[in-house]
Amino acid sequence: MKSKLLVQGTPPPPLEREFTVVGRPFDRRGAVQKVTGEAKYSGDMKFPNMLYGMILRCPHPRARIVRINTRRAREIQGVRAVLSCENTKGWRTQWYKVPQLGFAECLTHEGQEVAAVAAEEISIAQRALELIEVEYEVLPPMFGVEETMQSPPPPLVGDEEYPGREIYDRKPYVIKKGDIHQGFAEADVIVEDSYTTQASFHGTIQTRACVAAWDGQILTVWDAIQGVWNSKEALADSLGLDPEKVRVVVKNLGGGFGSKAFSQRISFYAAKLSMVTGRPVRIERTRAEEFLAHPRRWDCKIHLKIGAKRDGRLTAIYERAIVNAGAAALETNYYSMQIIWHTANLHACPHVYLEQIGVLTNLQINGPTRSPLNMPGIFALESHMDKVAEAIGMDPLEFRLKNCEDYAMIGSDAGEVPDASVIECKEDIPYSSKNLEQCMKWVTQAIGWEKRSIHASVSRAEKRRGVGMACYLTFQGVGLIPYTAYADVEIRHEGTITLFIGVVDIGAGQSTIFPMIAAEELGVSLEDLTVVFGDTQDTRYGPSCQVSRVTSELGPAVLQAAAEARNRLFQLAAPILGATAEELQSKNGQIYVKSNPWRSVPLKTVTERIDPEEPIRGSGARARNPESPTFSIFGAQAVELEVDVETGEVDILRIAAAHDFGRAINPKLCVSQVQGGIEFGIGFALSEEGLYDPRTGKLLNRNLHQYHMPTSLDMPRIDTFLAESDDSYFAYSAKGAGENTNAPTPAAIRNALYNAVGIWFNELPITPDKLISAIREKEKGG
Amino acid sequence: MAETENLPKAKKRISLIVNGKGVQAEIDCRMTLAEFLREEMGLTGTKVGCNRAECGSCTVILDEKPVYSCCILAVEATGRQVLTIEGLAGKDGTLHPLQRAFVEEDALQCGYCTPGMIMSVYALLGRNARPTQEEVKHAIDGNLCRCGSFPNIVRAALRVSEKISERQGDEE
Repeated sequence: MKSKLLVQGTPPPPLEREFTVVGRPFDRRGAVQKVTGEAKYSGDMKFPNMLYGMILRCPHPRARIVRINTRRAREIQGVRAVLSCENTKGWRTQWYKVPQLGFAECLTHEGQEVAAVAAEEISIAQRALELIEVEYEVLPPMFGVEETMQSPPPPLVGDEEYPGREIYDRKPYVIKKGDIHQGFAEADVIVEDSYTTQASFHGTIQTRACVAAWDGQILTVWDAIQGVWNSKEALADSLGLDPEKVRVVVKNLGGGFGSKAFSQRISFYAAKLSMVTGRPVRIERTRAEEFLAHPRRWDCKIHLKIGAKRDGRLTAIYERAIVNAGAAALETNYYSMQIIWHTANLHACPHVYLEQIGVLTNLQINGPTRSPLNMPGIFALESHMDKVAEAIGMDPLEFRLKNCEDYAMIGSDAGEVPDASVIECKEDIPYSSKNLEQCMKWVTQAIGWEKRSIHASVSRAEKRRGVGMACYLTFQGVGLIPYTAYADVEIRHEGTITLFIGVVDIGAGQSTIFPMIAAEELGVSLEDLTVVFGDTQDTRYGPSCQVSRVTSELGPAVLQAAAEARNRLFQLAAPILGATAEELQSKNGQIYVKSNPWRSVPLKTVTERIDPEEPIRGSGARARNPESPTFSIFGAQAVELEVDVETGEVDILRIAAAHDFGRAINPKLCVSQVQGGIEFGIGFALSEEGLYDPRTGKLLNRNLHQYHMPTSLDMPRIDTFLAESDDSYFAYSAKGAGENTNAPTPAAIRNALYNAVGIWFNELPITPDKLISAIREKEKGG
Repeated sequence: MAETENLPKAKKRISLIVNGKGVQAEIDCRMTLAEFLREEMGLTGTKVGCNRAECGSCTVILDEKPVYSCCILAVEATGRQVLTIEGLAGKDGTLHPLQRAFVEEDALQCGYCTPGMIMSVYALLGRNARPTQEEVKHAIDGNLCRCGSFPNIVRAALRVSEKISERQGDEE
């Protein structure tokens, strides 16, 4: 079988032996340091002579600074620098590749930076902030997404800016196929409805923190971000430095979920303060700052109209999704086709017209948030699928199976960065592999799908049970800037083997699974391999850990690097074994002749032949995705829950989850990812919501007490199944198993609620008050 | 005139036991216990995720009880015993059974909530060697984990509790 591995140059041939490392549930690397408290996170870094930075933030969603006076703050003993629009005119930062003024006079979202202070102690910095006098002219904010859509864009004031406005603001991005009118004409049943999803937050337990140190030559930043390389470039761009002079280090990261996908703004200010004072500066955000000022998932309004035949075949899908894009939208932070890409590809349909419209408002910029727009999109689509199934009188599982095909409408690249604002799909594109049918069957069987009819018949009990399901897909990787990926393997005379990868271990286990891939290809045990990661020094470019992408972006490069290093080692082993390098294989630390495994030599003996001055190096580079096939991961989840109709409380009893991530490099870590996704999905479905004052547009619940993330008591029993599939484009078929596991959870919960109480809930989160009033309403009507 | 005069400067001497060792220090009386442990003692295993008693990542044991160290002043700990995550492993580095179970059950992902989580479970097992699953869930309901490690954390706790009970059974 020819390898199709996504690498530059000739892909290494398949391994053609059984695995000894891949597929085993090793303990994650770094776990011992995390359970002993030894693991250092960015905010744990402390240096002699270090200053503490703090940021003054705008209290209004939209305002203009009439006057600012920092004199009193500057005069406090212990204050070393105060930065504001007074002394940094024209300074532009590049955040998410979005050019924005470092300190603008016109502020476009609550929490935007007004001044930054560095002082000898935190309490002094705090006092300095209090002494900065700012007079604001408060402007009426653009806030609600529908109201904003209906009113004309306001004339801009002063230096007020909304980057990306010309490209995305109120502009439809379209994916279409066939003839939508014909599709509806052919339908036996047409179902139409609207869905609303809320602003939601990442809630990483680590608040953002960084230490920036400028030594006159090199800027080093110990940061809390998901990509060291994209941050290095952003820091260089924002501070006018040569990228060679910037080093970014992330050894441990206290949760990301997209919130730290790019460099963070505090790092720009810490770096600037360090360059002004010549001393290291630490900035750590408070929890309230964390809620106020970072990119996240904003609210969406999604309208769906679906037509189907009585036999269950879809004939037409029309969608109009309006997304609150916040105060800036460029392609790195706003995904202009993400909702509709997923709608286009999950279920096969001949006639489709889908549009997604971004609206710029006075909220912090939109940005990656564990399945940013695909979770809202999948929620709407999978909710609506149940409604259509009911309208044609078909079981929801059967309905989905009827429309499950092995091809996509639109390729992976468009899911990230579409090359046109209207994409007309003509030919179906096959998936490289797809195991969704299996996933749907497993979860429904595990949850006891047959209970649906019993649950639906109960209408008097105080506690009512329901079962529901939903499925999803997510595109995998692109192989394009800024997600290019390189890896290097070095084998030294002493026998040490090192893997160099420029990615962060976000907590998903990147520092475990990439060494596993390399160890497998080299034929050594995992312990023989050291990994250098989370540091731009000594590594080449690696993608940020977001969109469940790193395994699919970097995996092929790691495999290629390991294969190349191993082949060089085989050349040294060949004369010892009296064979050619091509005739050799390695496993468990032995190099042997394929045709006669008894002829072998320990790998460590061979490494002694490596020139001590010139270690063996193997390198790998990811190729960009071809136009066909489409790469995706798939999954389904089924939920059983119980609703207390007196209190509106929902008790999720059990969730069955089946996911096709290709092959699991480390199944233990994959299962953890599924559990993490489900926790996020439960919060999005039932409790989490950013609440804004409708008059002022200010965020009201900026703490973990009023923003309700699930706790240990909200987590149900979870049964996880890995529906593995072969996909030779990726390293041992391994695709991403990360953030996207939350995508189907909200719709599965919502569909189970319908089974329990017979009410369609179209607005998230489904809180007890909404449940009770809907149940009372229904009882009144019935 | 410099503004520093406005800043309160009250310092106070404290004396307490941290991880079995006597510690004395002169500190700003506004300092929290978490800040003292992290900034003065360099014990950065104790994390501060919210600084207002909501996330639990700063949980330490104060005289056998789990507390949010971000909402206790360091001066309140004077004359008392504090156990942090750094004090759990043996002197030779041998992991405490709870730490071992957390590693093996993959009861952590990013690891930021982990020290506080372990201290809460440690305190539970101190007062109840054989908790039920529900009791474990309640003992950690003041510790948030956003990575979704709860199912594995509960498993790790129950696994250790079974070992503790077995050992107690042997002794009886």
